[in-house]
Amino acid sequence: MHIGISITPFGHHPAAWRENGSPDTMDFKHLAAQVKKAEDGALDFAFFADRLGRRPIDDLSPQAVPFEPTTLVAALATVARKIGLIATAATSQHEPYNLARRFASLDTISKGRAGWNLVISPETVAREEEYIDVVSGLWDSWEDDAFVYDKASGRFFVPGKMHVLNHAGAHFKVRGPLNVNRSPQGKPLISQLLTGDTLDIAARSAELIFIGARSPDEARALVADITQRLGRHARMRSDVRILANVVPYIAGTAGEAREIRDRLDALPAAGEKPAGLEVFGSPIGTADRLQDWSETFGIDGFMILPPLVTESTHAFIDGVIPELSKRGMFRNAYMGSTLREHLGLRRPPHPASRSAGASR
Amino acid sequence: MSRANSRQMKLGAFLMAGGHHIGAWRHPDAVAEAGVDIDHFIGLAQMAEAAKLDMIFVEDAAAIRERNVNIASQAARSTGFEPLSLLAALAVNTSHIGLVATASTTYNDPYGLARTFASIDQLSGGRAGWNLVTSASELEAENFVSSGLRPHAQRYERAEEFAAAATAVWDSVDAGAYVVDGNVYVDPGKLHPVDHRGTHFTAAGLLDSPRSQQGRPVMVQAGASDAGKNLAARTADVVFTAAQTLEEGQEYYADLKARMPSFDREPDDLKILPGVSPIVGRTESEARAKYDALQELIPDEVGVALLASYLSVKDLSQYPLEGPLPEMPQTDGIQSRQQLIIDMGRRENLSIRQLARHFAGARGHWQLIGTPAQIADELEERFYAKAADGFNIMGALFPAGLEDFIILVIPELRRRGLFREEYEGRTLRENLGTRIPARGA
Repeated sequence: MHIGISITPFGHHPAAWRENGSPDTMDFKHLAAQVKKAEDGALDFAFFADRLGRRPIDDLSPQAVPFEPTTLVAALATVARKIGLIATAATSQHEPYNLARRFASLDTISKGRAGWNLVISPETVAREEEYIDVVSGLWDSWEDDAFVYDKASGRFFVPGKMHVLNHAGAHFKVRGPLNVNRSPQGKPLISQLLTGDTLDIAARSAELIFIGARSPDEARALVADITQRLGRHARMRSDVRILANVVPYIAGTAGEAREIRDRLDALPAAGEKPAGLEVFGSPIGTADRLQDWSETFGIDGFMILPPLVTESTHAFIDGVIPELSKRGMFRNAYMGSTLREHLGLRRPPHPASRSAGASR
Repeated sequence: MSRANSRQMKLGAFLMAGGHHIGAWRHPDAVAEAGVDIDHFIGLAQMAEAAKLDMIFVEDAAAIRERNVNIASQAARSTGFEPLSLLAALAVNTSHIGLVATASTTYNDPYGLARTFASIDQLSGGRAGWNLVTSASELEAENFVSSGLRPHAQRYERAEEFAAAATAVWDSVDAGAYVVDGNVYVDPGKLHPVDHRGTHFTAAGLLDSPRSQQGRPVMVQAGASDAGKNLAARTADVVFTAAQTLEEGQEYYADLKARMPSFDREPDDLKILPGVSPIVGRTESEARAKYDALQELIPDEVGVALLASYLSVKDLSQYPLEGPLPEMPQTDGIQSRQQLIIDMGRRENLSIRQLARHFAGARGHWQLIGTPAQIADELEERFYAKAADGFNIMGALFPAGLEDFIILVIPELRRRGLFREEYEGRTLRENLGTRIPARGA
């Protein structure tokens, strides 16, 4: 299975900051230590959410990460050099050229480990689809072997392998080409948290889909729905990875694990609890539950939302991951080097190589 | 020597993937793949930090720089890292050096950009700087929703409002606002939500990170037009400029600093750093040989196209290479750079090819070729003659161009008391010696 982790300073439970938070907990080193812990467990990726899909921000939430996600991921890419790194960015907050460029740059800095978690406005579907097409088209500005760096002849790139997008649509007009090389993954990975009103955009464009369900029934229904919609966009189930969000409370026994949740629930908190399946158990019990869900939901794995940092993160990486590995359900060590390789997703070919292949 | 102790040069390292010399990527010592090699940039930043330079600096355009693909394909400048992600990566691999990147007020929004620089400032512990540009090129304009280049005056009007809105975002959270003691998360008395409704933007809400450790990210500008100078005099901590001669430098320096009192600012709170491209040799003939080797690497068509782009004219290739520049109208692009090139061509009676070769080397900036003592002499003269508070060092190629300056020239400047032995502080603002602005100032 595939497992990622959503990183926050204090944990995803809205009262987590009251237990062991301090202003120092918010700094880069503390977040980087969490990512390195996840990398020790050979997790597929670390994920960074963003509140800026709903602007303006008029309060400061302890459930948010106090950095702009793309710059945070750029910094993390140089200190954690194996794990995938996914940053959230809303289409309402960036011009498509700037966004395409930022993520291509992140993929280059991380040597192929970057992902864009897409946040869209459901009320403007046509604009959102065009936006994604522009970004994806800009990522095809250069063929894989465009840059030859030939010092003797003075040719830096092969002119015919540069592609000017010349997009002129209803919402955007973008010439291109992108001023970043084709990224190591071909294109950065696109992920999306599934919501009721964005199912079709996810079915059309996302390669990694998160199910933020609070009950197993809700999770099963969303997986069935998205799987069916993939076909309408000429995509196969194997083209995407679907992960269910899980909030794990881990202790010696399930009862003790529930006590952690009850203790946190008893504290005053302003925010909502995260959308994900809660699991209470020992490391073995938690592994049992994840194995059961992964076999019966039609999903490919999980995104872990640790309720309390660092306890929940360490309990998961040190307890649950070795148990899943022992059962042959999770890797012991990284086999590949890019996020797509971690997830077992193919590197998208450049359109020029595709058409050349077809004509042969 | 006593005067040296009271005032020392501020030095930046202006990094560029292919080197500042247009042909430098072809040099045997150049890293041709620099634009995709993050460890190359981390190495350069750490080298500059070991030499106690004030900052590294990266420029930007939100487009490729040359429309003609044949010309573009012969230079290393079409692609590279996006500057803000590059800066973030460098921030956590350095500890003292300032990190300045260019970003446009024309193709960003104030909240998003202020937030992103604040994030880099947090990652670096107070070492971020924003070089504010208004974006002059048509190739950039064509990559964004609104097609067509905005006229010069309107770009600056927008830039003024952008800077004010971005500052308000940085000022929306006071130092110590995050209490996080188990009972209180933030102190509401230390939050000042933005409510900016202007001609070009609305910006509302709070910055989502703690107050900058240097008060605010450092503001850098390069504008040299009248509107650009007023914006700099009012808002900039550092001005990056181009001056070919001592007199030009002095005139600019005096003009800009004289504008500051009317904005209630002390002249010393703004540092003027002209760009300089030094080619250093242990002997004069070694330096000259290094320069000649680089000039050999410039194809004529590339040099002339680059010259045309600095002049904001579409094409110079129709004119004879051996002849002078044709007459041309004032452009809507970068007015100051155009005038500088025209003046130089007339003053030194240079042909198009000679001008092209000259500008390809330092891209319109000051070119110095010589021994460490000769280069230190020139820098010292301009520093004491009030033509500069320091310099932005533009290595012709990397890492060699920067390494030569650090190994050969910096010790000479230190011997003369012109450059620091150790960093004064941990933030960029402390090292520059510009004061932390009061909230809302």
